[in-house]
This record gives sequence, C-alpha cells and structure tokens, in this order.
Amino acid sequence: MEIQVAIIILEVAVIIGALAVFLIATILQLFKINAGLSVVLPLVGQIVAKTGPVNPVVDDINANLVVTRDALENLMLKKGGPDAAGLVESLFPGEGAKFLKRVNRSGKVVNVGTVYTRGVGILAGLGRGAPIGAAHTKGAAVRDAQYSTTEVAKLYPAPPDRRNPDLVIPKAPVIGKDPVHSPYEPAQTPGARTRDAQGNKIETPPPAPAAPPPAPPAPTGSSSPSSPSSSSSSSSSAAAPPPETPAPSGDSPGQIGRLSGKGLRPWER
Amino acid sequence: MADAALWLMVIVLIVVALILVQLLKRILKAATSIPPKIDAIAGVAAAGSRDLDAVAVLLTTQGYIGSIKDSVLDYGGSLNAALPDY
Repeated sequence: MEIQVAIIILEVAVIIGALAVFLIATILQLFKINAGLSVVLPLVGQIVAKTGPVNPVVDDINANLVVTRDALENLMLKKGGPDAAGLVESLFPGEGAKFLKRVNRSGKVVNVGTVYTRGVGILAGLGRGAPIGAAHTKGAAVRDAQYSTTEVAKLYPAPPDRRNPDLVIPKAPVIGKDPVHSPYEPAQTPGARTRDAQGNKIETPPPAPAAPPPAPPAPTGSSSPSSPSSSSSSSSSAAAPPPETPAPSGDSPGQIGRLSGKGLRPWER
Repeated sequence: MADAALWLMVIVLIVVALILVQLLKRILKAATSIPPKIDAIAGVAAAGSRDLDAVAVLLTTQGYIGSIKDSVLDYGGSLNAALPDY
C-alpha cells in the first residue's frame, strides 16, 4: 500500500472521529436545553394563567372609576357652576383644565383655593354669616336684614384704630401676598386710585411744568411744610375737602355710613 | 500521474478536515451557550410567577372599588338633594 493511500485513510478516520466527538457534545447540550425548557415552560404557563383574569378585572375597575368620576364631576358642575374647574384645580393642581376639557367647557381656570381663603368664597356666596347650605346661593342672602351690618362686622372687624382693644376679635382672612394662580392682572398704576368709592373717575392734575420756579422761602411761623404736590396743585386742593382727621375714640361715632340699623357695632359701644 | 492525484486528495482532505472541525466547534459553542440562558429564564419566570400571586388581590380591589362607587353615588345623591344648584 502506498503512503498516500495510508494518509488518506488516516484523514478520513480523523474526520469521522471529529464529527463523532462534536456531534455527541452537541447532542448532550441539546439534552440539557430540553431539560431546561421543560422547567421553564410550566412557569410560563403559570404566568399566563395568573395574568389571564387581569384584563377583565382592570377593565371593571376602570369602568367603576370612570362612573364615579363622571358622577362627581357632574355634581361639581351642578353645584359649583363655573367655579367647578377652580375647585378641582385647588384640590388637584393641573387637573382643572383637563376637567374643563372632559366636560366640553372652556374658559380660564382660576384656582379658587389659592385666591380665597378656605370657606370665605362659600360664605360670600351664601351671605356672610349664613350657615352653609341654608339657602340657594343665587337667592337672597340668609342673614338678618336688621343686624346684617353687625353680622358682617363680626366677621370683618373694624380697623385697629377703631377697634376696642378689650375685645378679642379674630383677624380678617388673609388671601396671600402673591398668589400663584392669581386671576388679577398687576395694576398698571400701582398705588394710584383712578376711581373713587362711587365709581366716578378721578381727574388727575395736569403734569407740572418742566422747571417750576423755586418757591420763595416760607415765612417763619407757617406750620405746613412746602411740598411739590401741595404747591403745584394749589387750585385743585382748594376745591378738594380737607383730609379727614381720625375720629376720637370716645362717644361720637365720627364715621358716617359705618353705623348699622341699631347703632354702633358691639366693640364700638 | 496517479501519485499526483493521490497527493492532491490528501491535501484536499486535510483542508476539509480543518474546515469541518471549525464549523463543528462553532455549533458546539452555540449549543453550550443556551443552557445558562435557559436557567436564567427559569429563575426569572419563577420570580415572575411568584410576583403574580398578588394578582388575586385585584379581585379584592375590584370589590372595594365597586363598594366605593356605590357609596359615592349614594353620597352624591344626598349632596345633590342637600346643596342648592348653582
């Protein structure tokens, strides 16, 4: 036998041996895979079985929650009217606009809880001092017509200068210095009153000339100091009434219009 | 001539054997990498199956939500009658 034939036979034997070794090892690994999958498959079956009823249960829960939410929103709309979105916004910030969108309404959402101290809005709607829920908010105010001013004054006491220091009167509710969701725009003329208490427009005096002549020195003995406003608007100040002097805290009431039908308020008696 | 053909066949067989061994090694390597992953999947599946035992509590939640809905509707009806409309 030639050497080439011997080598060929040897190579064929090596190839067959390699095939056998690797294929047997692969078969062993496939057995392991089969055993592993037989462990995994029942667990997956358990997961499928356990998650099976989740969808109908969650759907039922969601349906109940939607019914509850719709009922509460309708009740809120029915009772709160345009303030409903503001009430929702005060309880759940950011939900007021979504609430309006759900109920097909539009408008600006005013956070009632930020603007008003809690309870003041309700009292203002019902009539100050009235028990909550005693009457319709659009109807007549539930309060004593004869002592109404006194009732209001009990809620909102007199200014400190006219307050009896012996009486312990709670302070008026505080709205807040800078509400986050304030519906009011900043005043264009802060500190200046453009209308009086009756709503009449207050005419502002014309601006002073560019360079007013220097005022002569005030004679000695004059009590009023010279100020630019008083000197420039001397004609208008002549027509305007003199500023009110604070009323003495004695027996004379002093403030016209602050009296109720029965006389002075309890702390002013 | 016959000798040359035999030597050529020897060389071809050597090359074929090398390629075959490489391919078989790759197959074996891929096969051996599968069982650890299956073991990991089995562990995760077991943990997931244990976690899903809490799904049964959803049935309790479902009952609670139904009771809450009934209570809210009853209470809303009372509020509707007690409070005036806007």
